[in-house]
Amino acid sequence: MTAAILDGIVLGLQFGLLGVGLTLVYGLGGVLNLAHGSMAVVGAIVVANSMAAGAPVLVAVGAGLLAVGVLGLVLDATLMRPVYRLRGESRVLLSLLLTLGVAFVIDGLLVWRYPIGSLGIHIGGDPVEILGVRMRTGSLLASAISIGAGTVLVAFFRLSTAGRAVRSVIQDEVGARLCGINPAAVRSLIFGLSGVLAALVAVTRSMTAPIPTTAGIDFTILALIVTVVGGLGSVAGAFSAGIILGIVNTVSSFYIGTYITTIMLLVAAALTIVLRPSGLLGTRA
Amino acid sequence: MTDRLPESGTAAVTAVPSPAPTSVLQKYWPIIATALILGLVPLRYGDSRATMGIAVAGVLFATYAVSFNIIFGSTGQLFLCIGALAGVGGYSSAILADRAGLPLLLSMVLAALVSSALGAAFSWLVVRRSLDVIFTGILTLTLSLSFSNLVLGQRNWTGGETGLVVDAGSETLLGDQIPPYYIMLGLLVLFLVVYRLLQQSHIGWAFRALRDDEVAAELAGVNVARYRIYAGAIGSAMLGLAGAVWAHSEGFIGPSTYAFGSVDVRVIVMVAFGGMGTLLGPVLGAVVFTVVDEILVSFSQLREVLYGVVIIILFLGFKLGVISEFRRLVTRLRSRPGRRGRASELR
Repeated sequence: MTAAILDGIVLGLQFGLLGVGLTLVYGLGGVLNLAHGSMAVVGAIVVANSMAAGAPVLVAVGAGLLAVGVLGLVLDATLMRPVYRLRGESRVLLSLLLTLGVAFVIDGLLVWRYPIGSLGIHIGGDPVEILGVRMRTGSLLASAISIGAGTVLVAFFRLSTAGRAVRSVIQDEVGARLCGINPAAVRSLIFGLSGVLAALVAVTRSMTAPIPTTAGIDFTILALIVTVVGGLGSVAGAFSAGIILGIVNTVSSFYIGTYITTIMLLVAAALTIVLRPSGLLGTRA
Repeated sequence: MTDRLPESGTAAVTAVPSPAPTSVLQKYWPIIATALILGLVPLRYGDSRATMGIAVAGVLFATYAVSFNIIFGSTGQLFLCIGALAGVGGYSSAILADRAGLPLLLSMVLAALVSSALGAAFSWLVVRRSLDVIFTGILTLTLSLSFSNLVLGQRNWTGGETGLVVDAGSETLLGDQIPPYYIMLGLLVLFLVVYRLLQQSHIGWAFRALRDDEVAAELAGVNVARYRIYAGAIGSAMLGLAGAVWAHSEGFIGPSTYAFGSVDVRVIVMVAFGGMGTLLGPVLGAVVFTVVDEILVSFSQLREVLYGVVIIILFLGFKLGVISEFRRLVTRLRSRPGRRGRASELR
């Protein structure tokens, strides 16, 4: 049981990191990026190829983060332009359909070009004992990176001027504009950041399990569930939802069976929507 | 609230121009024309089993698209569980007919009722919690994914990954080469007639009123919640029935038969392409897409990429949102003198 819970926390931190990227973009621009998971896989493939080309792990990871960050910026500057011209529901709907198309393009290209490509980063070292459970170093490192990224994000949003600007746009786009903040620039920043986070998830996830090229859709769905449960636009919400869902995931797959696990995650998301549409820590009523 | 629209309700919605149909022929000629044109397909391609299979699937998707159009096009509920509802129908009917030994027609009707109940329940949830488009989408997406997991997990009932051979129906007309096409086409015509009847009844008035302006409709005495649930129940029943007919005519159903990626995405693109909330738009979309899909087969590996590109181009072209873009087109056609008949025939 302790082992299942600890594994759940490790998994949940990944879920949280996955959800953060999606939830920030949604909370900010009302864009539901269905290509988020595919972007993560792009990161994984870039890292894997850089490593295969002989680059050191850190350089490869840097290249992956940069590549997906740039991909996010490019998406923001091209396809998302017409989306931002819309308001409210039609904006969300158009963004959803366009990014679905993007996800198809990315997934199709990846499967075509790298049909058997996958990223697995092996972290050596002896297992570390925590609460009487032997944990793999890879899991611990992945968790540490996730926690680190989460802390940096929270600090960024609370302490830095740019972070405050982002939060003000999330709260009220028009009000922020009146205060001299450029919402378009903030959106670009966050879209790029979301890409970097997606790639980071791919890296941390690959420390515990290899990521195949086809993982995009699963990532996106997980990110959606985390986002819904955590509340749209909330960093802390995404991480707490991620950890809860991670624990639910491992405990139920340990005791019940794998396919029921997925259904339980889905039911958790459905129940959240029905009972508390703003999510655990969501700000919207 | 009464069943019929109260006086004030009808007064408010008469702003929508009435098609003023005079005879049955005039009312239904677009449907009759569609049936005749699609009915000619087997004359040309009847010899080829493969082509007829594609044609049946194309008409099947047209039935899905018409059903989805009732739910989303008429009342704005984004049901991302088209495949799941059809699959509930397909699997229920297969299990009822093969395991429980019920007569084929009865099991198909029961299967449609099961789908209908499920769709109505989700519709009820959406209405009760007044969820917006996105939350409706995600909520119904969880139904889709749960369904596909159940199909994979409940091996005893569904055959899991290997799929399920459906015996009932194979020795009837449904197992033949050409008759399934006409049966599916009959179903499509039935659905189109249902759509037309709905449009011209008080339900159709309510649909249009609540789609145009929900608050105004509510104030005018339209029970928005009830009509949303009607749309959910009717559309889901149609999806379930179509899924069941497909299961019996195909003789085999598997996890990919009703998967989100292979059904929902296509249907949404078809409906969006053809025109949301129109009578023949979904059929047009389905026909075009079936043909395009066959052309793209030769690009086997890059098919998904092209698919994505098509989606992006399609929706970028309809920047204002497909619905409003189309409505704008209709009003433009309407306002042009002499083109009046053309515009109303599509509605």
